[in-house]
Amino acid sequence: MSAFAGLMRTTKLPQWVGSLLPVFWAVIVGFAVCGAIAGTVGLSPLLMLTELIKGAVEGPQIFETVARAVPLVGMALAAAMPLRAGIVNLGTDGQLVLGGCVAAIIALYLPAPDGVRIVLALITGTLVGGAYAALAAAGEIYARVPLLVSTWLMSYPAKGLCGWLVHAPLADPLVAWPSTRRIPLGTRLEHLIPGTPINDGFLLIAFAAILIVFLDRRSSVGYELRLRGLNERFARYGGVAIDRQTFWLMFASGAMAGLIGAVLVLGSQYRFTDGALTAPQYTWSGTLAALLAGGEPLGAIIAAVLFAALQTGGFAMERSVEIPRVLTMVLESIVILFLAMRGAIWRRR
Amino acid sequence: MAFLEMIDIVKRFPGVLANDHVNLAVEQGEIHAVMGENGAGKSTLMAILYGLHAPDEGYIRLDGKTEIFRSPIDAIERGVGMVHQSFKLFESLTVWENIVYRREPRRGLFIDAKAAQRQVAELAARYGLPIDPIARVGTLPVGVRQRLEILKALYRHARILILDEPTAVLTPGEAVSLFEVIRNLAVNGCTVLLVTHKLNEVMAVSDRITVLRDGKVTDRLVTAETNPTEIVRAMTGRNVLLQVGKTARPAGEIRLEVKHLVVDGRNRRAVDDVSFALRSGEILGIAGVAGNGQSELVEAIVGLWPTDGGAILVDGKDVTALPIAGRRDAGMSYIAEDRSRTASAGTASAMDNLALGFHRRRPIAVHGLLNLREMRGWARTLIRKFDIRIAGETTPVGTLSGGNLQKIVIARELAHDAPVLIAEQPTRGVDVGAIEFIHAELVAERDRGHAILLVSAELSEIMALSDRIIVMFEGRIVASLTRAEADEATLGLYMAGGRKEAA
Repeated sequence: MSAFAGLMRTTKLPQWVGSLLPVFWAVIVGFAVCGAIAGTVGLSPLLMLTELIKGAVEGPQIFETVARAVPLVGMALAAAMPLRAGIVNLGTDGQLVLGGCVAAIIALYLPAPDGVRIVLALITGTLVGGAYAALAAAGEIYARVPLLVSTWLMSYPAKGLCGWLVHAPLADPLVAWPSTRRIPLGTRLEHLIPGTPINDGFLLIAFAAILIVFLDRRSSVGYELRLRGLNERFARYGGVAIDRQTFWLMFASGAMAGLIGAVLVLGSQYRFTDGALTAPQYTWSGTLAALLAGGEPLGAIIAAVLFAALQTGGFAMERSVEIPRVLTMVLESIVILFLAMRGAIWRRR
Repeated sequence: MAFLEMIDIVKRFPGVLANDHVNLAVEQGEIHAVMGENGAGKSTLMAILYGLHAPDEGYIRLDGKTEIFRSPIDAIERGVGMVHQSFKLFESLTVWENIVYRREPRRGLFIDAKAAQRQVAELAARYGLPIDPIARVGTLPVGVRQRLEILKALYRHARILILDEPTAVLTPGEAVSLFEVIRNLAVNGCTVLLVTHKLNEVMAVSDRITVLRDGKVTDRLVTAETNPTEIVRAMTGRNVLLQVGKTARPAGEIRLEVKHLVVDGRNRRAVDDVSFALRSGEILGIAGVAGNGQSELVEAIVGLWPTDGGAILVDGKDVTALPIAGRRDAGMSYIAEDRSRTASAGTASAMDNLALGFHRRRPIAVHGLLNLREMRGWARTLIRKFDIRIAGETTPVGTLSGGNLQKIVIARELAHDAPVLIAEQPTRGVDVGAIEFIHAELVAERDRGHAILLVSAELSEIMALSDRIIVMFEGRIVASLTRAEADEATLGLYMAGGRKEAA
């Protein structure tokens, strides 16, 4: 983890170049290796590359990529915020599910006008996700339960509880898969560009992303986070209230995950279905993106968008020319491994 | 041809030429001092000799053979041993286990403990380094641990022994016996390379001296034919005042008061019922051998370590229950002992390092947002005012030499203009030029009416700066003296635990 962080910090170029350069090289090497693999089994590396890129950006595919990037960027930021200060939230999965579940319940059952319901659903989903992560922080502050353990383990009861809710009391009897009833039209997020899967959630996440990058670079709070990530003892020595910071940081991270859950439920899934939020593994890809950037938010965003493009490109490639999608996962892992390796090399010097 | 030669050694680090065609020649059985200010390149040179760094140019010739050491394993193989400033020992193991580690005498599959203990005892006797082979390292005082480090090197047949700042952690008495050991080693044909800042030690024990400045050798001296002034001139390129100009001045009202403070350390009571008062316009020195509760006392005062009894008052206000930020707001600033672990973030820029503590106040922060222009200007001002040698305010401070990094810390802490300044080992590992500067700043701070608590293991520093001196031994104050009552012999006695009625 710190290897990635070291990687991002040893560069002397402007910060954004520093965030991009290693990713760029890693992608080049990743493509080369995947091309070689494809070549040895008789598939054309060039075809693979062009189909992958076309599948990610050509025509309407670009909207698919953007739609996939929305939750991925959000989860990357949820993981990156604590990582910036050197602490870890491994429970974004649970916070995501809680946020989505609570949003669905509010949207379905709160007796209020549509507009109020949708706003409250988003806010409550966000707050519940945040509160759940903050609970883990409180556990570390008051009872010394390591966040690494508590966030991870607290995911299971969260997922279990929401799963039970849609299995029994809130289940829609008309569908086979355990889920809530469909959220009525008026309480859904509207499509931002008609005919595409991009909805108002894009604006919310874009706003959150810009805010986080800005605060990271320009605010006293961001400064304290960054310094803590570089040397926690130094931050403490200088008067940073570490415990309070941990608490609010975890809250922010969980809130981001909860917001993503709410946005996915209200904007594309239209019901809370057991397992549907975690199945695409946004959490996992998002955490990897955050790790790659060492918690630096802009780097995490770039990595998350890249992953989204790879994933949609991979699906399209598989559909159109039957090159197995697993190759894009190989590509993803090589990119990550290569970046990690460079980090270690840089550190040794 | 000399026994050991380092020839035309060049070593570059990003942006720094650490060694610029350095030549070093040392005879067998010689005690050779390597001197220089921080950042002069002596650590790099020794790291090359011990195989920790590979030189970019140049080579080593040992006993007539050209050598390239790719790692310390190569260096040890060829008879080079090094005692680092921080010891590398297994505290839970015994003395003999530490010494024979990885070279254990064996009987079949098992370690032959009896043989190992006998070998260790013989080795200790031959070099006059008395030690109990079956003692647990964790129970041994620092001086004995150092002896153990030396024995470890000798057990590996070291013919050349590098000692890096060996007296930094020792009492004056322990230092004297270390010098005897060094002389004894030399008589037995062992070559000793002594890396140090301390002029009196070099004068007392070395045969010859190589002085480095800015990566180059500036002088080669024969100790018997030189004097401290000449060495200092070679190190700094100028004549440095070794005293501090300081006028007597009446102390004002009480700024910091510590009452019956008790602090439990990791596994023992570290501070035991300590009380004192610090007044404005005075420097109160806390003398003592490192590890007698000074660090815990200071960390408890500033809030980095919890207290287990007693009270701490700043300007009459009880701050015992306040967090660090609250104590800083009450009027405390703190130059921490460990500048790279505690008082700075090495990978962060000078700008970030200098802004800590100012990052929530005007003019650097307005409504919670940083004014980067102010922050940059602030860093530039301090860098200029304290003459910090750094490429620019965006340079990470981890690249700086010890003295310059310490100036970063001091610049920031003095800028707080707090009525109480806690200065812990403010010149440890810092070169002569920077020491002079830091001492002058501390005295100026006192003359402005601020109260300074100075903790130092360096007696000369305590003597040069303090208006009053208290001595800590095993967590207690064993003596409280005025500057006039204190002399090196008296303080040394108290520091070693000789107890008189505390005043």
